[in-house]
Amino acid sequence: MTSSATVERSPRGDAHLSLGARRRVRGVLGFVVGVGGFLLVWTLLSELVVGEFQLPPPLKIGREMWAIVRSGAFADQFVPTIVRLGYGFGLALLIGFPIGYLMGTSRYWRAFFHDMVMVAGSIPGITYAVMALVVLGISVLGPVISVGLVSMPYVAINVAEGLDSVDRRLVQMSDAFGRNRSAVVRHVLVPSAAPFAFAGVRLSFALAWKVEQLTEVFGSSSGVGFQIRVEFEDFSIPGMLAWVLLFIVFMILLERFVLVRLERYLFRWRLEEQA
Amino acid sequence: MSVAIERPAPTQGALGAIRRVVLSDVGARVASYLFLLLLWQLVSLYEDRFPGPAEAFGFLWIEVTAGSHGGVVRGEFLEHFAATLPRFSLGIAISMVLGMVVGVVIGASKLAEALFKDTLLMLLALPAIIWAFLTQMWFGLGDDAVVITTFLSAFPFVAVNVVQGVQAIPRDLRRMSTAFGVSSLRRFRHLQAPAVTGYVFAGLRFAVIIGWNAVLLAEWFSASEGVGWRSRYWYDANRYRGFVGWVVIFILFIVLLDRLVLVRLQRRAFRWRDAQLSAIEREAEEVELGVTGT
Repeated sequence: MTSSATVERSPRGDAHLSLGARRRVRGVLGFVVGVGGFLLVWTLLSELVVGEFQLPPPLKIGREMWAIVRSGAFADQFVPTIVRLGYGFGLALLIGFPIGYLMGTSRYWRAFFHDMVMVAGSIPGITYAVMALVVLGISVLGPVISVGLVSMPYVAINVAEGLDSVDRRLVQMSDAFGRNRSAVVRHVLVPSAAPFAFAGVRLSFALAWKVEQLTEVFGSSSGVGFQIRVEFEDFSIPGMLAWVLLFIVFMILLERFVLVRLERYLFRWRLEEQA
Repeated sequence: MSVAIERPAPTQGALGAIRRVVLSDVGARVASYLFLLLLWQLVSLYEDRFPGPAEAFGFLWIEVTAGSHGGVVRGEFLEHFAATLPRFSLGIAISMVLGMVVGVVIGASKLAEALFKDTLLMLLALPAIIWAFLTQMWFGLGDDAVVITTFLSAFPFVAVNVVQGVQAIPRDLRRMSTAFGVSSLRRFRHLQAPAVTGYVFAGLRFAVIIGWNAVLLAEWFSASEGVGWRSRYWYDANRYRGFVGWVVIFILFIVLLDRLVLVRLQRRAFRWRDAQLSAIEREAEEVELGVTGT
């Protein structure tokens, strides 16, 4: 991956910018022009075609977003949402890891869980949301359990895949040196599978927060989803869009700067292996 | 293949035969369904409002056979499916066309990628519920809101997959076909089409899964007929067995469509790429593709 960048660097004595830097500049420029153009088209549409009430211009939504952040409502509503998301992922790891371990090591359990894991991803989010409401009522448990159920299959299938790719020679060597089964599990299998469990969480991240927010729309009394519902019932399009855009930006930043880095850190032994 | 696959010791006699059946893959699947039914039953015992499997399937029987739910309320299964399926199909068709156009443009042109990629990621991140709310406020109750919600929610997933497909066309082969003067028709037939087809089917699969959720949500909020509306009808009437019965139909519909049609199409179209993957890697690939949205 990185080698191509170093090989192609300044082939014509181009001393100003390396390929990577040029690519980054292009990315930033593209972002500014592309998103700027999108906002411009949006503004023109709302001013000239649709009308400000139906399609509020971006500036108005920006002001709304700023008001939400400044008043402290942002922090008040995001903290419960993020905490629930965290508990949900904890639940997914707690259930998904053993299931994935069983699937990766035993033929019987692989067949047992196969359908559940393969099917869970295609279940519509609205069923999680409203079922949680029926079973639990308006409760903080609803979003947690929804997130746990949505992410669990990704954790399980990734752990099973991770165990599938465990270095066979390590297991054979442990056998040859007379290590018992539990030592192999503790020192070879579980450490190899753990990063895969985390990769499962990251993969399901986008799906999980959408389902969480949907569950909050239907059955919660706090959190970002609940605020979106409140704004919808007030027929406030700017308020609704402000909340959801803040949420998306926050989640994308969380994914890029926390989860991806954490994953790279957990998988660093693999990168060294490849290099 | 796997690290430590246990193999049941071959036993003789009738007891051995039973043991073999119970421990076989089919036996394991049957056991898993029984386990799920048991779990459902336990949840329904824990919470009285939540109907057990017997109640939900009893309701479904009446709904599907157009029997009487008591009084004049009759089962209306076909009517609502007939209302939903055209909306759903139209939404998916539009999202496929739009997604392929956007995907090819972004995938083929560096300029278009730099300009539109971030906007596409933003659209990918927008939850379907926002479109359901917005279209209800823009268009009121009716077909428009449902169809538009469906394709706005689904098309970014098609586009992202097509972008991946276009960018996955091997560069060496592209250069070679230029060097050897291969005609653009043959290039399309032997290079571009096979490389992109798998990703188009992956996109279709995710469009259908995402679109189904969007259709249900949109009908929940802005329709007066259709399967989503019908489940809400039972929900609002506090007849939870009706609601849960419909949820069973929602899940069955999408799971059967996905496993019996879409996954097979996708697997066929990806044969050239996935031939050397192990079974579990292939399954992981099926679960993951499209959700990542690079």
